[in-house]
Amino acid sequence: MPDYGHDLLFGSFITPANAAPQDVVALAQESEAAGLDLVTFQDHPYQAAFLDTWTLMSYVAARTERVRLSGNVVNLPLRPPAVLARAAASLDLLSGGRFELGLGAGGFWDAIEAMGGRRLTPGQAVDALSEAIDVIRGLWDTADTSRFRVDGTYYQVAGAKRGPAPAHDIGIWLGAYKPRMLRLVGSKADGWLPSLSYMESLDAITEANAIIDEAAAGAGREPAAVRRLLNVSGRFGAAGDRLLSGPPEQWAEQLAVLTLEYGFSAYIMMGDDPAAIRTFGGEVAPLVRELVAKERSARGSAR
Amino acid sequence: MDYGHPLRFGVLLTPGEPAGPGALEDLMDLARLSEELGYDLVAFSGGPAQADPWTLASWAAGRTSRVRLLAAPAPDGNPAVLARAAASLDLLADGRVDLALAPARDAGAVGEAIDVIRGMWSASERSPLYVEGKHHRVAGADRGPAPARTVPLWIDGADPALLRLAGQKADGWTSPRALGTPPASPGDTAVEEAAGPEAAPAAAGLATEGPAADRSGADGAWLGELVAAQDVIDAAAAEAGRDPREIRRLARIAGRFTPARGGFLAGPPEKWIADLLPLVVDAGFATFVLEAGDPETLRRFAAEVVPALRTAVGRERRARGVVESAPARSAFVRSKRREGIDYDAVPASLAATAVEPGDAAYARVRSTYLRGGSPGLVLRPGTPAEVGEAIRFARTQPVKLSIRSGGHGISGRSTNNGGIVIDVSRLNTIEVLDKETRRVRIGPGARWSDVAAALAPYGWALSSGDYGGVGVGGLATAGGIGWLVREHGLTIDHMRAVEMVLADGSQVRADEHDNPELFWGVRGAGANFGIVTSFEFEVDEVGDVGFAQFVLDATDTADFLERWGAAMEAAPRDVTSAVILGRPRPGQPLIAQMMAVVDSDDADTIVSRLQPLAATAPLMDYSIQVLPYAAVMHVPPGTHDAQGEPVTRAALADHLTPELSAAAARLVRSGLTYFFHIRSVGGAASDVAPDATAYAGRSANFQLVAFGHNRRDLDPAWDALLPHFSGQYINFETDRRPERVREAYPGDTLRRLRALKRRYDPGKVFRDNFAIDPAEDDVTPGAAAG
Repeated sequence: MPDYGHDLLFGSFITPANAAPQDVVALAQESEAAGLDLVTFQDHPYQAAFLDTWTLMSYVAARTERVRLSGNVVNLPLRPPAVLARAAASLDLLSGGRFELGLGAGGFWDAIEAMGGRRLTPGQAVDALSEAIDVIRGLWDTADTSRFRVDGTYYQVAGAKRGPAPAHDIGIWLGAYKPRMLRLVGSKADGWLPSLSYMESLDAITEANAIIDEAAAGAGREPAAVRRLLNVSGRFGAAGDRLLSGPPEQWAEQLAVLTLEYGFSAYIMMGDDPAAIRTFGGEVAPLVRELVAKERSARGSAR
Repeated sequence: MDYGHPLRFGVLLTPGEPAGPGALEDLMDLARLSEELGYDLVAFSGGPAQADPWTLASWAAGRTSRVRLLAAPAPDGNPAVLARAAASLDLLADGRVDLALAPARDAGAVGEAIDVIRGMWSASERSPLYVEGKHHRVAGADRGPAPARTVPLWIDGADPALLRLAGQKADGWTSPRALGTPPASPGDTAVEEAAGPEAAPAAAGLATEGPAADRSGADGAWLGELVAAQDVIDAAAAEAGRDPREIRRLARIAGRFTPARGGFLAGPPEKWIADLLPLVVDAGFATFVLEAGDPETLRRFAAEVVPALRTAVGRERRARGVVESAPARSAFVRSKRREGIDYDAVPASLAATAVEPGDAAYARVRSTYLRGGSPGLVLRPGTPAEVGEAIRFARTQPVKLSIRSGGHGISGRSTNNGGIVIDVSRLNTIEVLDKETRRVRIGPGARWSDVAAALAPYGWALSSGDYGGVGVGGLATAGGIGWLVREHGLTIDHMRAVEMVLADGSQVRADEHDNPELFWGVRGAGANFGIVTSFEFEVDEVGDVGFAQFVLDATDTADFLERWGAAMEAAPRDVTSAVILGRPRPGQPLIAQMMAVVDSDDADTIVSRLQPLAATAPLMDYSIQVLPYAAVMHVPPGTHDAQGEPVTRAALADHLTPELSAAAARLVRSGLTYFFHIRSVGGAASDVAPDATAYAGRSANFQLVAFGHNRRDLDPAWDALLPHFSGQYINFETDRRPERVREAYPGDTLRRLRALKRRYDPGKVFRDNFAIDPAEDDVTPGAAAG
């Protein structure tokens, strides 16, 4: 491994600032026009300067045609899973299958508690996230006509009618760094969505992939069942010696290495600069696709 | 019982089951159709398919532009999160949101939720929010954002405790069941599976209370029940010190159009009208939300029921002497009103967009870029006629009046304490009138960043100050010293005509032919004569420009200023620059920031223009970019939330002489100014004769401004520099002593302006920015003796 062989996705990560809401929407439309596959928004419901991410995503979905949308990542402690499941399915249906569910266990507990949320320890938060995934998938599963019950430690559903079912199999992507969360990714999630800046080293990526793969195997899943997505930041300009700091060609080479050697297949660029979004979608993405396709076919023919 | 509210009509849309993509697409088609048909609002229910009503409403906001959204959250959610979601939706939908609190069984929880929601929306309060309730707890959350407009809160429920709560706190009450005859076809039925209490959050939104009741019974007892409910609401309202008319009443209705008369809302349109009329004039409902899933019923209701019902209600109200008026602002909002303003007399055309201290949007409009304010009323006219109404209203009120375009005014206060602000930010259109002559028309509320962006595709620009966040109106009536001033002159030098509203509320056009003297005065003293509602400019062809930033060691301050001044006076007109000096720090070099724009995209030209400037002091750092002019001016929009009051002094100077440079260096060294800014002028701005416009300082090559901490220290220090100055540019000067007016408008200029003031504003309605006194005459010693 790694290179789990997924098709490549490129996305933006737009600050949901509420000072100029239509500018945020315009950046999402700009992302679509630039050929990006994905528009994502962080979700910090305790942040007074931000728009509500769920409302924003629903509105943006209505104002775009093709691009997929996701929270990056949705704050579970302030968004109860049963409501989240139905909202996600509704948005997926409205948008023609363009919604993906990036989900996080929560981290800023003082702020969550100030908003009336429940404080959990990091370990409890992982268990709560695991239960939440079961609640969400259970409510989506309309093939099962029985009433849905969950009597969990953190979430209870007492005989709810299931549905609606989403338009497509919504990917549940988890922001995860520590082993327990990584194991949860491997055993239950459809995607792993860390930020490059939080990874201590490239070796740490390899280790994290190994934990996910092992947990996946333990749950009887293929490692390729878990897409690896990465939030990245950088700058375009003269070549620098830092990662993702240079001309589009240099970005493309580095992202190709992250794809072929570190297993990632989706890159979400943080930042609100429309010129950078155009460069990322218009120049970097095609170059990476080309480099990866060439190398994958070379590897394929070598086997 | 009739509260006299204007009739409003809405549609409640519920997805069919199963909620496949097609079902939701059909639902949104119906939402758009409702807008086209002229319905006032659209509401969504999740229905038996259990779709999330909030997501449906948010999506619909993105696909509609006029219709209001009665948005309902899933029940039992976190009210602090809901507050932000509702404010966000209202911001995205430009103020089109009403919030329906989902039917709840516990009035206590709903009451606490309302406290949390209103507390979160009170963004103008700076303290964090604490609500310690039985059901909801908020422990120090940051408030905000405020919605775009105050979002009306509706309570849905028949429980007496909920009725009382509606009377105490809500802006509207929704009858919990649909009145009328359910649609005939099973496919369209509004009947839904009753969700057990344990199944929450199951079906959500407005339609969880069970089947539409067939109210065909002839006894009319149900009308009595509704009247009794209204009585409970009204009694609770009165007890809470509210006017029952503050609370709108919404009835959900369902019916079918049939040739023959059947039960309630079953029959031809005349039957519907006859059935609905008593609900308005006897039971107090003025908002009707139709539960319908088919386009035909929506069309017929809009075309055949709504207009005739309006007529019937109007006739009945006239007969009964009921005066029609929109619900008054709530007791909560009225409790924040300021003395001296007759709020109830605000013209109807302005009332809906006006902001008063209790309104949600107040946090965004009270203060400006540099100044904290607490006006009693902010009027936001959207047309020249509304500007006229605003002025006519404001001049009858015994409080201060401020005029605001972009809210960056320093001398033009553009906010106040307890007074009225006329904010023209909605007059912000930018349009090209003639490509051949590069003639454009711009509203006063546009920001220069937006102007630059709008002109860029044509390869044009209009020199206009050096910060894109500034609004058009305040700058273009005073002068406009911008990044291209030496090449292309002042902003006012490009003005070809204005349309404005005068102190009496009348509208005039002024240009070289019509009202030429007024046109002269508007270009330099415009704020004294009225509110410009549109400007016509002839703009320049401008491509990419060189934009440079230098950091210089200006420890030898006087020497640096003198050199920079000489370099600028010697420079070709295609370069304009400015320097900023901060407060000196002990043991550190005094840093100067120098910015320059070269009107050329040629690297050699740019470098040759910048070299003499860079050589004026030891260079510590620099950057040079070639950028579109619009990129130099780009400033993302945002709201202002300054506190306090800026203290500045300003002047024009012909030259940075050794004496002025030394005196300015002493001022900087004294630490009494923390921001000392000199802009280059001259060039094309000096080609215009001093008496050609009311901006008289044509000989000046420099404009200076110093920001200080307080008047007491800054004024004497700056007054010592006065002998070195040649005039005044009004927009940076906060000193209110009358000498400043004479500096800006010397000799004949002031005489002409006084004559204009006597003619156009003898009552001194406009005195926010360098007020000219119409009565004061030039008094010469001889004349005084005689």
